[in-house]
Amino acid sequence: MNSPPVPRSALTRRDLLRATVLGAGAMAISGCSSIGAGLLATPPASGTVTYWNLFGGGDGIRMREMEDGYRKANPDIELRTATFMWGNPYYTKLALSTVGGRPPDVAASHLTRMKTLVLGNLLQELRPEDLERHGITAEKFNRKAWEAGLVDGKCYAIPIDTHPFVLFYNTKICEQAGLLDAEGNLAPIEGPDAFENALSRVKQVTGRYGATHGITSPSSAPWRLFQTLYAQLGGEVLADDGARVVLDDTKAKQVLDYLRMLTVEKRLMPGSVDYQGAIALFASGAAGFHLNGEWEISTFQDAKMPFSMTLVPNVFGGPYVVQADSHTLVLPVRPEPDPAALDRSIGFVRSMLDQSLTWAQGGHVPTWQPVATSDAYQKLTPQSQYAAAATAAVYDPPGWYSGSGSNFETVMGSAVGAVEAGDLSPEEAIAQLRSKLAVLAATASPV
Amino acid sequence: MAILAHSDDVQPLTAAQAQRYADTADRRTRLFNRCCTAVLIAFALLWLVPLAWALDTALKPNGETINPTWLIENPTLASFRTLLAEGDILDWYAASFIISTLSAAGTVITASLAAYALSRMRFRYRWLAFWFILLGIMIPRQVLIVPQFQELDSVNLLNTYWAVILPSIPIAIAVVVFKQFFDGIPKDLDEAARIDGAGFFHIYRQVVLPLARPALSAVAIFSFVWTWNDLLWPLLALSNPEVMTIPAGLATVQGTYGIRYADTMASAILGALPLVLVFLLFQRRIVEGIAGTGLKG
Amino acid sequence: MASTDITGRAGTVAPARPEPRGGRHARTPKKPRRENRLTGHGRPALLFLAPFLALYLLFIVGPAIYGLVMSLFNTSMVAPGLGEFAGLDNYAEALSSNDFWSSLWHTIWFTILTTPPLVALGLVFALLAERARRARWFFRLAFFLPYVLPSAVVALIWIWMYTPELGLLSRAVTSLGFAEPDWLGNPDFAMVSLAITTVWWTLGFNFVLYLAGLQEIPRELYEASAIDGAGPWQQIRLITVPLLARTTSLVVVLQVIASLKVFDQMYIMTQGGPNFATRSVLQYVFDVGFTDLRSGAAAAASTLFFVVVLAVSTIWLVMTRRQEPEL
Repeated sequence: MNSPPVPRSALTRRDLLRATVLGAGAMAISGCSSIGAGLLATPPASGTVTYWNLFGGGDGIRMREMEDGYRKANPDIELRTATFMWGNPYYTKLALSTVGGRPPDVAASHLTRMKTLVLGNLLQELRPEDLERHGITAEKFNRKAWEAGLVDGKCYAIPIDTHPFVLFYNTKICEQAGLLDAEGNLAPIEGPDAFENALSRVKQVTGRYGATHGITSPSSAPWRLFQTLYAQLGGEVLADDGARVVLDDTKAKQVLDYLRMLTVEKRLMPGSVDYQGAIALFASGAAGFHLNGEWEISTFQDAKMPFSMTLVPNVFGGPYVVQADSHTLVLPVRPEPDPAALDRSIGFVRSMLDQSLTWAQGGHVPTWQPVATSDAYQKLTPQSQYAAAATAAVYDPPGWYSGSGSNFETVMGSAVGAVEAGDLSPEEAIAQLRSKLAVLAATASPV
Repeated sequence: MAILAHSDDVQPLTAAQAQRYADTADRRTRLFNRCCTAVLIAFALLWLVPLAWALDTALKPNGETINPTWLIENPTLASFRTLLAEGDILDWYAASFIISTLSAAGTVITASLAAYALSRMRFRYRWLAFWFILLGIMIPRQVLIVPQFQELDSVNLLNTYWAVILPSIPIAIAVVVFKQFFDGIPKDLDEAARIDGAGFFHIYRQVVLPLARPALSAVAIFSFVWTWNDLLWPLLALSNPEVMTIPAGLATVQGTYGIRYADTMASAILGALPLVLVFLLFQRRIVEGIAGTGLKG
Repeated sequence: MASTDITGRAGTVAPARPEPRGGRHARTPKKPRRENRLTGHGRPALLFLAPFLALYLLFIVGPAIYGLVMSLFNTSMVAPGLGEFAGLDNYAEALSSNDFWSSLWHTIWFTILTTPPLVALGLVFALLAERARRARWFFRLAFFLPYVLPSAVVALIWIWMYTPELGLLSRAVTSLGFAEPDWLGNPDFAMVSLAITTVWWTLGFNFVLYLAGLQEIPRELYEASAIDGAGPWQQIRLITVPLLARTTSLVVVLQVIASLKVFDQMYIMTQGGPNFATRSVLQYVFDVGFTDLRSGAAAAASTLFFVVVLAVSTIWLVMTRRQEPEL
């Protein structure tokens, strides 16, 4: 280091030239509005509606169709949309952008996640007079979904659907197993033994499995099945807005024992399979049943397989309930209120409601009654066959850490999934659940 | 190995014998070297497989990606076209490019100025200033995400490029690299300039910087690549897709089409492309920079 | 020459060690030159230092102090101000939380899984490359190119490689007659899969450092040993590896520190799952701070994480000082 370094290996003019060419190329091919937003924080031109959602797969395709419908009907309004990774990453983005003062005009949110956003002062209250201007009133919605969406009697979210956990079945396999009735629909299955029996008959046909559902990842997937069965026993997990854990160990163990029997002991369901794997097995005919949210309907339609859908059986008796959630549209708080933007946003919401039939093709049960009671929807099969689930819906318990794709679902689903994969015994899983839930419940709510 | 036999050979070697041993050793070495090369080529090919596979997938139509073959029956650029036409990826390119360029420029300028003062000027608290900056090397950027987020929120800079640029400029290690380099440049040169009446800035600009080009390029390239590749902070600071950098965008924004492997791989290829270019253009300097400074992101 | 292409002028870029020179030079002027005319450059020095120091104070030192303060409060991301004073509750919570400890363990486990192969393969590949006469550009391309790619790109490619039944790796394993592991879905195996990806991604860095280290070993040593009849294997064992000790310790410590900061791969490839089996400390901080919106608790967890990184760096510093007293 004592002699001056040879400047040969320095950045030369040619290097700078190269860099400039690279850069100029990048700038030339990119739009300019985003650069303005990035460098100067210029707000989007007035007359735009920005809309964020978390819909992938078939939902994503139909949502685009609906967005295009809105664009066609409102050619003077520019609609900008973005789709984020499902679950926590999406809600993190939504919260951070609202905190950061540049939220989208309209965002999709699960009903069960919406309440936390409200408590964090991240959502605008939707006043009845504003909604009425666009013909949106409470009595035009499925009551259960509408009321579940109120916080202290005030409306913050417009539910566009109810999406229950359902039972997919391969009609050909179930026919061979003798499980169909005269009309070719699945004969009602009731009780734990009947369901087990149905699975083992299907397993004899497929030679591999009776049913599949996503178990290892995402970890919230097994929660839906657990919640359905556990709620059928009348069990609850949280109380006092998540501050108290009221898990009923006996009922939880009954459900976990049953799930363990189906997977680990009798191999009627594969125990360590992820969400996509479970779908693939059902689609390839390695299983005759598939338990999942109704939104996967388009996956199986695309696979051109013989299938139908129905309510998840009432395995444990009691009044019929099934795990569900609703997609809602919310308006994040803006730094400065803007009546014109508010009207544009509610207009967009109304347009989405009007296109509920498109949305319903993706399996979701419409909450917008003008569509839900229409003939067109009734004729839509198999979608309308499980519409009753909307009134039997049981939503995730309220709590700042609860809701679709939340820590709560991850905690619950991870433990349930570990039982089904044979990694934990039901007792160990309950202990894991209790200790993790206790931490969450004891934590002061940040909102 | 065979060499061990020779250690029994107690008699001193004649010159001819020594030459013969050297020749055999040479031949053996050459053979050994050739084996080494072969083994390494095998590994290198293995290392390229994931990239090749990504490219292969991206060139297939989405429907054919489930075919378990390298063979592309119907090669197509459809996935690339879709992404460029409909996605936000051009916005992300612009964001990444502007953010990384300004960060790199900011780091080079501020750090070299500071290092020049530390290397060439005499002032009372110089040791304090130096140790104060050294302290910064110990603080990983990642532990600051929470307070930095609140800070940038309070000045309304979130969701702008500045939220990423400003915190990535003060890199303490850059000052250290520059200072060491300047320390290695003989002082006679600037002393001479001083005698001629040149000011500090003039010396810095006209004498020291031109000699410090290797350090400048190392710091500039590294700062650029680090900022370009950073995920955690842009993920937090840029939540609007139109201002996201490429890594943040790829990690959070999903295609509206669900799982379409060709599209996904095409987006990976597009995301990789600028850095592949940077690598091909500047590979020697990048490699030298790492070897010389042990800089690691 | 191809060899100088890779590392030849390594030494001219900057010395490999940050610490020693800086300290020595900083102290030199105190003695002889104190009385000399050069005492007062205060004003220009301040001007030169100001831009860096201003940004440094604003974005590094300031947030560091603010983070410490925040860790003592129940600060919320969505409420203004610091919130109510919590004393050391946030620290107590993190230290008594299984999630924090298991995320720390996952981070350490990841470090254990990645460091040995990265160091060993880096060394072996560099040794092999040193003996190769041709195709060096090709090795550099193959091993080093992945290192400059963004983590998001690497993650997307490897998610596809690991896709059950369709992915290339899954199919390679099945065609060799093994049962296909559930790469990212099995809680015991997911971390191994992430480690494989990371080795692929970052090996090039160590490869380059080792190549540079090899360049610094004097040729004469090899020539002398060849005349003594040493074969290549003996040369490697008795000359190369011992003389690379310094490089090895640098490689190891950089590797360990980088592994402790791991976040990207897990965040994109497994979201910390399955069953939390791959959640790293940084993701714990991220989840607590930005998903649960609990800034105070996240700041406390960050501080604890900082202590761990600091401890590791200190241990290394002490160890290397003992090895090389003159440092």
